[in-house]
Amino acid sequence: MENIEFINEKGARSIGEVKVYALSTCAFCKKALKFLRENSINFMYIYVDDMEPDDKQALKKKLKERYKKDVGFPFMVINDDRVIVGFLEKEYKKLLTEEGA
Amino acid sequence: MKKKDYNDTMTFVSMVAEKQNWELNRDSEHLEIIINGLTKNYNRYGYFSCPCRDGSGIKEKDMDIICPCDYCRPDQEEYGHCYCGLYLTKKFYSSGEEPGSIPERRKS
Repeated sequence: MENIEFINEKGARSIGEVKVYALSTCAFCKKALKFLRENSINFMYIYVDDMEPDDKQALKKKLKERYKKDVGFPFMVINDDRVIVGFLEKEYKKLLTEEGA
Repeated sequence: MKKKDYNDTMTFVSMVAEKQNWELNRDSEHLEIIINGLTKNYNRYGYFSCPCRDGSGIKEKDMDIICPCDYCRPDQEEYGHCYCGLYLTKKFYSSGEEPGSIPERRKS
């Protein structure tokens, strides 16, 4: 996971390190990214489906092992600790009230 | 393999919905992303792999997530719509409610 080339999106708000593993084809992933952009949150993302097959299989295995969650998309990791699977708007809105946001 | 375009895929999902007595998501932006996603998957994998799941690219391994997927009906029964929010039951559609992310039934 260390060598993944994320795309950085600069926003005015920082809630720590926000990584989004998404699919380029998924409507809820696109909505999640749109939410983060519209709320000016600093984040980074990668479209997992566009990765090489072996790399993405290894990534999904690592995500599952590291965060003890079944991997669905969008898979958002905040500060290498908190994970939100799916575009759960209530959970995303809570982020806006986090310290530093 | 002949490539499919947006209109081909829209025709496909419309036919599925009509045959199954389902409705398509009325949110045009949501629908457009899914149609484009299905089209991309068809053109890279050769089958309509679910755009909201990461397919393997190997048809035999992805049979359960070829649109409409094996989890569509149970998801509709429980939530009123499929995992992608593409196919809605008539009842859910009539409620005017917007589909949201639901738990994944497929075991990873």
